[in-house]
Amino acid sequence: MQALRKIWFLALSTCTEGIRHRALWAIVCMAALLTMANLGVTTLYSWDLGKVSVEFGLSAVAFTGLLLVFFLGMKILADDLERSRIFMLLSRPVSIWQYLTGKFIGLAMILLLATIILGLSAALSMRYVLWLYAAFVPPDFSWLTCVMALVCQWLSLVVVLALSVLCFSFARQPFVALLLAVSSYLVGQNMELLRRVVVENPQAGALAGQEQLVVALSWIFPNLSLFDKKYEAAYGMAFSGQEFVLLCLYAISYSALLLYLATLLFRRKELA
Amino acid sequence: MTYPAIEINHLRKGFGSGRKKNQALSNLSLSIQPGEVFGFLGPNGAGKSTTIKLLLHFLKPDHGSLHILGKAVGQEEFRHRIGYLSEFPVFYDHLTAGETLLLSGRLSGMTRQAIDQRIPMLLERMNLTEAADRRVGGFSKGMKQRLGMANALVHDPAVLIFDEPMSGLDPVGRHQIKGLIAELKQEGKTIFFSSHILSDIEALCDRIGIIHKGVLLYSGGLRDFLVAGVGLEESFVQIIEEADRASFA
Repeated sequence: MQALRKIWFLALSTCTEGIRHRALWAIVCMAALLTMANLGVTTLYSWDLGKVSVEFGLSAVAFTGLLLVFFLGMKILADDLERSRIFMLLSRPVSIWQYLTGKFIGLAMILLLATIILGLSAALSMRYVLWLYAAFVPPDFSWLTCVMALVCQWLSLVVVLALSVLCFSFARQPFVALLLAVSSYLVGQNMELLRRVVVENPQAGALAGQEQLVVALSWIFPNLSLFDKKYEAAYGMAFSGQEFVLLCLYAISYSALLLYLATLLFRRKELA
Repeated sequence: MTYPAIEINHLRKGFGSGRKKNQALSNLSLSIQPGEVFGFLGPNGAGKSTTIKLLLHFLKPDHGSLHILGKAVGQEEFRHRIGYLSEFPVFYDHLTAGETLLLSGRLSGMTRQAIDQRIPMLLERMNLTEAADRRVGGFSKGMKQRLGMANALVHDPAVLIFDEPMSGLDPVGRHQIKGLIAELKQEGKTIFFSSHILSDIEALCDRIGIIHKGVLLYSGGLRDFLVAGVGLEESFVQIIEEADRASFA
């Protein structure tokens, strides 16, 4: 119980620090403008305006979330080490796993707040476009699916955040941690596509015959493409509650595993 | 059974590996009794901060053991009984002084009620009452140092470990911190602090340890160290020069 309380206090202070950071609001304002640009962008198309609007709105939220993870989140983590702020925390009876989990939850809370603000901004612009061009509203369009797609995007950001915490736990330089996290994100985003190409196509170039290796890699890296539900939201396609729950469980368990590994690696680190 | 407040036995620590290995500490042993004010002296790069980081388990020793109030560092929890002030205290820039102390108190296992009573008292003691609701990012070096001191004291620890507590402070700031250490000494706290400001050591410490290039050159009473008619500065320079000559020979 005491351990959970310490995690909560660390999460709360990390969230407060992040929320008061100018960088957060600069990114959020930029993204709000981007979602509003939806109004202009959709008019460039002559058909499927509703689908363009939904995809553009959700993409803006996803892009902003990544900026927040890679720049604000990793900056807060790196500042702890580079500026020796971590000494203030670890000179208290706080274990490494409590520290990392507290930081992770605090940053996930910032991402949730940003996703809610940007989601509302995107929804407003989408609502306006769909009202303006009622003829282009996708058949079976559902706001519930849009909200579920937005939650999936947040879950994907949470997994990327956990990846960043893992990279931060063993990299000696914050820049290296950032590079590793961005690379892992790119691999995670495209791993499923690569797996399908190699498994389903015997003429898959240099990777032909390496199906097992690719499948093994697809189990190691996070399958971030699973969380991409923009297409379903834009086309009003079925998106079952069961799939949503499974995605939530996948994100939680994968993040927990990454945090566990991060704790093991961080314990070996010397805080000189 | 009373344990020494701090006990260090045959401590060795090096950085790097192979031929590039730099031995930061060699066979360091120290014992500090409860209620003592112990000054840890040495030139820059002598190994003072490394010893403190080993005491707090930020670094792991290559050899030897460290105990604080009878608890083995790295194996048993002891941190709720120590207060630590680093040479350059760094806090969350966007939290206020009050929020910073609240976080530290909570992480030390204090109840909200106890913290609410303690924070105003500490802020007043450190002349920070008016800055309680200001964000720490806007604090001067002296204010941060005083906040660091309040942060180390928030949970009323028995042992205080200060790394260069007066470094970079103006004369007023130094005077304040010196006064505070003297008050804490009166309260019976054990204080272990590193410094290379010899006048501060002379004014505050019961015993001193002198370290140079990772080797402990002297540990004992301050009065015993001072040669009759010669000040601490001369005695300190003399012992360092002798050690350098011996290492070249």
